[in-house]
Amino acid sequence: MIALALYAVATAAYIWRFVRRDQPGRHVPTLLLVAAVLVHTFVIGMQSVQVGAAPFAGRSGAVSTFVWMLALVYLYTEISTEELAIGVFIAPLLTALQIIPAFTAAAEEHPALLDNPLFAVHVASVLLAYASFALAFVVALTYVLLFRELKRRTPGVFFSRLPSLQVLDAMNMRAVTVGWACLTLGLIVGTWWVTQARLYAADDPHVRAMSLLDPTILVACLSWMVYTLLLVGRRTRGWGGRRAAWLSALGFGLVLLNFLLVGYFFSRSHGFV
Amino acid sequence: MHLVLIGLSHHTAPLELRERLAFSRTRLRAALATLVSRTEAGDAVLLSTCNRSEVYATCAEPDRAATALAEVLCNTQGVPLMTVGPYLYTRTDADAAQHLFRVAAGLDSLVVGEPEILGQVKEAYRVASEAQGTGAVLNRLFHGAFGVGKRVRSETALAEGAVSVSYAAIRLAKKIFGDLSHLRVLVIGSGEMARLAALHFQSQQVARLSVTTRSEDRAEALAAEVGGVAVPWSTREIALADSDVVVSATGGGELVLTRNVVATATAARRGHPLFLLDMAVPRDVDASSGDLAQVFLYNLDDLRSIVQENLARRTGEIEAAEAIVQDEVEAFMAWMRSRHVVPTVVALRQRFEQIRRSELDRLSSRLSGLPPDARARVNEVTRLIVEKLLLTPTAQLKSIDDRETMRAYSAALRRLFDLEDEDMSEADTTRRARTET
Repeated sequence: MIALALYAVATAAYIWRFVRRDQPGRHVPTLLLVAAVLVHTFVIGMQSVQVGAAPFAGRSGAVSTFVWMLALVYLYTEISTEELAIGVFIAPLLTALQIIPAFTAAAEEHPALLDNPLFAVHVASVLLAYASFALAFVVALTYVLLFRELKRRTPGVFFSRLPSLQVLDAMNMRAVTVGWACLTLGLIVGTWWVTQARLYAADDPHVRAMSLLDPTILVACLSWMVYTLLLVGRRTRGWGGRRAAWLSALGFGLVLLNFLLVGYFFSRSHGFV
Repeated sequence: MHLVLIGLSHHTAPLELRERLAFSRTRLRAALATLVSRTEAGDAVLLSTCNRSEVYATCAEPDRAATALAEVLCNTQGVPLMTVGPYLYTRTDADAAQHLFRVAAGLDSLVVGEPEILGQVKEAYRVASEAQGTGAVLNRLFHGAFGVGKRVRSETALAEGAVSVSYAAIRLAKKIFGDLSHLRVLVIGSGEMARLAALHFQSQQVARLSVTTRSEDRAEALAAEVGGVAVPWSTREIALADSDVVVSATGGGELVLTRNVVATATAARRGHPLFLLDMAVPRDVDASSGDLAQVFLYNLDDLRSIVQENLARRTGEIEAAEAIVQDEVEAFMAWMRSRHVVPTVVALRQRFEQIRRSELDRLSSRLSGLPPDARARVNEVTRLIVEKLLLTPTAQLKSIDDRETMRAYSAALRRLFDLEDEDMSEADTTRRARTET
């Protein structure tokens, strides 16, 4: 709850900075977000000690870890590029998603089936991939907003606050590339883990449901294909700019659908807790 | 000590006169030396730009100093004072500080909020500091001006947005492409508009600047002038596909770039944006080209409307910028006033220190029996007592706003503590000011 409150305060500060653009205190929103991430790290650490493993397994833990990773990925981007305007779009997303773990009980047990390093690598990679895709989506959104202003010949709010289209495009592609690499690793390691799990827990209903027909796995593979198409299109046909932005948005739409809806309501393979 | 300013600017003097009183960089140092040696000015800074020539100086009598500075300034440039006199303005103390702060903020500029002036003020100060040194008052004044310039630029939108067509084009290009050093720019036409655009882009150190016109000779002449390369008119469509920014300014009456030509070029660019600037009247570029994906088409009216909006926005920020100037003028004047009591404060401190030392000397025989650390302790305690006794009176004295009250308090202190003559102390302070930074 404290982490949620800090994310909310950071969101307000990011909005204030976006509107006012004051030089004094321009780093206050960043510092607030760092504080939120530190508190969040402590909470995740405590939960890990309590459960005896990283709290990935339940919906609450997975969303919480996703928010934490997205905040870290964003902070890295903000500090390394000195681009401060994107935060006004990321911080509300962090706050909105953090509501789920804040008001949902965290898993208090850790199924023995998941006591495998491959499972931890699989979930961590996929969550990091989703966090990168979320960042890519937000950057793509800002790209489209700025693109529209420039195309309509009416430079305004976004023109004066956002970095150039070129920078946004590069940021988007970097986030997509990192996300794609993590998702690829996550899917490969996940498949490896399933082949092992079939040996020692063949009767587990979740393990039996692990196939391409399972909605979660299917949508994850579809997201991977969308991002692969984007990267291949960029390399071979020079896809960039608006087309890359829209494909990023489509890919993240699938990710969000999978993460928040499919995985918890329709999947037979991924609801361990 | 007073602060005095004499000068003329685009508000008061025509261009011909401003040109005659403008100082080149090389002549600035000599002019400063003459100003200080031939007038009563303690030190001076000469700010000379295409829009203004101003001298900021410190002196004992502002009226006399202003007249002398004006005479020397005119003589140095060989312009009769009679001719310049009606266009000159004089400001003293708070008004002079306010004027400089407004200049540094860009509030007094021809184009309000233009950014170059702050650099010019810094340069004028740097030259004066290096040439003949500047005293505490001018140091404080100019650093205050730099602070005002910085605050106005960071806390208001006074300097935001392009306010010239060429600058608007550069800003747009930067917003599309980011770094301009990789850009390939094609200029179509050789008229004045094309030449200005070419010069502006070249000043941004773009990777390549090409020029093409129907006349190869004119293209080569312009390319040579702006440091670009001439491209034959027949290959302009190939050059178009190979360029990121295209400025078209032929105004020949017929379309130079049709939608089909632009579409073919963009197809070959593999999704890279193309920025088309149609600076011609009548237009050179088919307006429907702007509908093509990754093509950003701006004509002269679009750029002018951006400039107008930015100017209107800047006007709305003037009040906030003036408030910052006022704040800083008050802070500067408070500092100036506090300087008048400095000799009294120094003398008072010296008197207290003298008493402390003489008492310690008187007791030295009794203190000699103490161990060294105890003697050091006694020394430190007495020093702290003196510091504490003087802390409140010093702060109270410096906070007095009214100069007469300040003089009365200073006189009372001098009488009560039998301090040395004020005039002598002030002379010492002035001497110290020349070396103080």
